[in-house]
Amino acid sequence: MTTTTMTTETSAKTTEHGPGPHSGGVAVELVDCRRTFGKVHALDGFSISIAPGELVALLGPSGCGKTTALRAVAGLERLDEGAVLVGGDDITDVPPHRRNLGMVFQAYSLFPNMNALENVGFALEVRRMPAEKRNKRAGELLELVGLSTMAERYPHELSGGQQQRVALARALCAEPRLLLLDEPLSALDAKVRAQLRDEIRRIQLEVGITTLFVTHDQEEALSMADRVGVMRAGHLEQLGPPAEVYTTPVTNFVAEFVGSVSRLQGEVVAPGTVDVMGSRLSIPASAGSGLATGTQVDVLVRPESIRIRPQVDGPAVVARAAFLGAVVRVVAALPNGVEVTSTLPASEGHTLPAGTRAGIELLGDVLFVVERSRPE
Amino acid sequence: MRPTRAFRWVVLGLLGLYVLIPVAASVQFSLEAGYKGRLSLSAYSQALAEAGLGTSLLTSVKVAAGAAAITLVLLVPTVIFVNLRFPRWRAVLDAVSLLPLGVPAVVIVLGVLGAYKSLPSIITGTPVILALVYVILAMPYSYRAIDAGVRSIDMHTLVDAGRSMGAGWAKLFSRVLLPSLRSGILAAAFLTVALSLGEYAIASIMGFTTFPVWLVGVEGNNPYVAVALSISALAFTWLLLVVLALAGSGRRKRGTGFGAGLVGPEVEEEISPSLAAEEEAVA
Repeated sequence: MTTTTMTTETSAKTTEHGPGPHSGGVAVELVDCRRTFGKVHALDGFSISIAPGELVALLGPSGCGKTTALRAVAGLERLDEGAVLVGGDDITDVPPHRRNLGMVFQAYSLFPNMNALENVGFALEVRRMPAEKRNKRAGELLELVGLSTMAERYPHELSGGQQQRVALARALCAEPRLLLLDEPLSALDAKVRAQLRDEIRRIQLEVGITTLFVTHDQEEALSMADRVGVMRAGHLEQLGPPAEVYTTPVTNFVAEFVGSVSRLQGEVVAPGTVDVMGSRLSIPASAGSGLATGTQVDVLVRPESIRIRPQVDGPAVVARAAFLGAVVRVVAALPNGVEVTSTLPASEGHTLPAGTRAGIELLGDVLFVVERSRPE
Repeated sequence: MRPTRAFRWVVLGLLGLYVLIPVAASVQFSLEAGYKGRLSLSAYSQALAEAGLGTSLLTSVKVAAGAAAITLVLLVPTVIFVNLRFPRWRAVLDAVSLLPLGVPAVVIVLGVLGAYKSLPSIITGTPVILALVYVILAMPYSYRAIDAGVRSIDMHTLVDAGRSMGAGWAKLFSRVLLPSLRSGILAAAFLTVALSLGEYAIASIMGFTTFPVWLVGVEGNNPYVAVALSISALAFTWLLLVVLALAGSGRRKRGTGFGAGLVGPEVEEEISPSLAAEEEAVA
């Protein structure tokens, strides 16, 4: 992976990573963007820099402002303050139809009165390209998304996945400077979603277009993006490569929102060391190692860092176990009522039906530590 | 409890008889033309020879076409704009559109004449004023037809998609919105035309000799001819309905005809299992 220098200091803690082997796109920057709807701050000092050819996923709960940020880039939402720069050009006040961006929407957005070929070629029709040339280009794009045989079909004759493929081809047809994806997979069933996820990433890498992708599905964000930006209340909490966001969250919110965690009670027993259920674990530097000795803390631990095993005199009782195919997710209740979640190989999981007495073992990796009197 | 098939047919049959018996009686009346047991088309041929038929019919057609045109020009952009930008005002527009149903014809006439008296006589002194009144009278129906069309498509997303691809408003209207709303627009036009062609009271009060006004005059002299003309007018209206239905069904193939948008894509997938199989094949 190449390293790209960010041109703007972003509000969140970020890691500077480039887009990978491709770099055909343009750089995109949102600078201190603010947008309020009544009393709600949809964007509250939101800043981000995206390198040319990079795919950045904005991840966050409903209402965190991720779609507003995307729509602001598209020009479909005006900003109260801040700026949008694409390829170094300030396009904040440029109307949406002059921005030369491609966008795929969450809702099926194909024009119902046009067939797939006409839909894909619409952006070129707007640019008054002759029909023959336009259809040739639209045909190429349909081929890129694997739908060249369905050019004559109307939207209602296509399945949801096919419609979104056509929408992707349509968004790319006029060679836009930037591709915006607004939860394009959320209306699809799980199997089609997984297929299309891989396909979008393949096409994005092939075309080399800078892409901003909004989703509330962390699996999508982590599996597709070069970098993931976790948003909360209109601002960026953390921006970094997927593995880093997952393993080294910089805030309690990121730790709890990305992946699942168990929250255990502990006490800081030495600088950088916490005692949890009798185990002494080291606190990562990014996760609150500056806490004073004696501080009562909540310790966040990933399921893969917890081992639950059958133990006749163990302190916990298995509350439930869910079979997930290759793994089993086991939830055990501690005497103080706290629940601990662990994912175990299916071969181990079947020995832990609900009601089994169990022992808990921590494998040494603390994800995040937060002072107990301070919930955030 | 779900009604049985036989019960449904009985209800449908009774309803059909309720509508068809008066029509059949009128047809018989016009064909007998006073000679019981002997059918002839004499009332229809006499009707064609009646003085004033052409003029009154032309006036009615002009007024109906004008009313339909004004309705579409006023309502289509308004409904689109309100749905896109001021959705909270939809309830107000909805209520306003219903007002003509609760106001007597005489009151509407007096109101229109009073409100528009300052307009030039080319409007107030000609059937143009009648077309304006019919726009108001037809609004409860025309507004609903257009509004139903607008609600059957995801207009916000279509507009956003079009804008993001570089289309200005003119292009969006001509290439995306109007074709997508075609069935609603046709329905609104038809309803306005049908109402305008059949309206008697207001035209009579305002002193314009439209087809229905002329027809009532003829009825006094020759009721057989009047009924023959009524049947012809009914057939003409039905013809309009058939044309509209055909136009709508032509677009249904493209998903914008009657009922388009009432079934979401998910449901469409359910009723088209072959699409899912194709999806996997493509993937």
